[in-house]
Amino acid sequence: MSAIEKVNQLSHRIFNTSKNEQSTSRTSNPFAASNFQKNILTEDVFESSKSKEANKVNFTGNLSASSKRIYSVFVGSINDIGSRISSGIESIKAFGSRMKEGIVNTCVNTWNKIHEIGNKEESLNGTKELLGRDITTFFVNKREREISKMANMNPHMEVKSIFKDALQALEADMVQVA
Amino acid sequence: MEKTNIRTNKNFNKVSDIIESLTINTNPDSVAVLEEIGTNSSIDEVRELTSRALVKRNEHDSLQVVISNRGKGINDMSTIVAMSTINELLSLENKEEAMRVLENTISSEGFDEEVKENARSVKALMALS
Repeated sequence: MSAIEKVNQLSHRIFNTSKNEQSTSRTSNPFAASNFQKNILTEDVFESSKSKEANKVNFTGNLSASSKRIYSVFVGSINDIGSRISSGIESIKAFGSRMKEGIVNTCVNTWNKIHEIGNKEESLNGTKELLGRDITTFFVNKREREISKMANMNPHMEVKSIFKDALQALEADMVQVA
Repeated sequence: MEKTNIRTNKNFNKVSDIIESLTINTNPDSVAVLEEIGTNSSIDEVRELTSRALVKRNEHDSLQVVISNRGKGINDMSTIVAMSTINELLSLENKEEAMRVLENTISSEGFDEEVKENARSVKALMALS
């Protein structure tokens, strides 16, 4: 074998890996590339740290892939049914709420109208009572103040002249009316 | 003028307030003012108010004005004034002073027979009330 042929073989060995080497390179098994009496381990028999972590969060136990698929389909269907039921309930709720709103709005409008009328009447009565009370109270208080003020005056020196003037004015009114 | 008209008159209300103030005035001169101005008024309503005010004071001098004086209080020419005065006397809680004045009027020689007769009638009514 010439030197050029050796170099070619070496380059071939370096840049063109064998089929076994290619298949083992995808696994984490360090012995996958080894030949155990011509039986090559093609499956990854060693548990990786990643798979351990995956097992930690796996709540399905020792379920096969097909079982998982079936369950996943079942669960998916359940979820789908749930969403359908919930959407149905939602539509019923929406319909109910629309009906309720319609009825309630009608009732509320009627009720508001009745209240408006009632409130108007009440407010009118309240205003009337308030005005009546305040005006009466005002005049009564004013009159009481006047009487108590005159009651503290000297009858001869002060009240007598006021009395005379008021009586003369009254008599004048009487004459005018007559 | 009707009674309802005069009672809505502004000046009548003023006169009424003055008479009321003289009713509660503690000064004894109030009786003299009431007698001089009120009981001599030509308006029946003013005389009525004045007589009632004098009775309300429930003093010897004020009661003597409406019981013993001719033409005043129970002796007023107006039936309304006389009856109102009698009603006021009957309404008194303490009638002792009024009864004393009535007895003095009945027993005294200085008063007219008409005044004495009225006093006797009122005394009888007050004894029954």
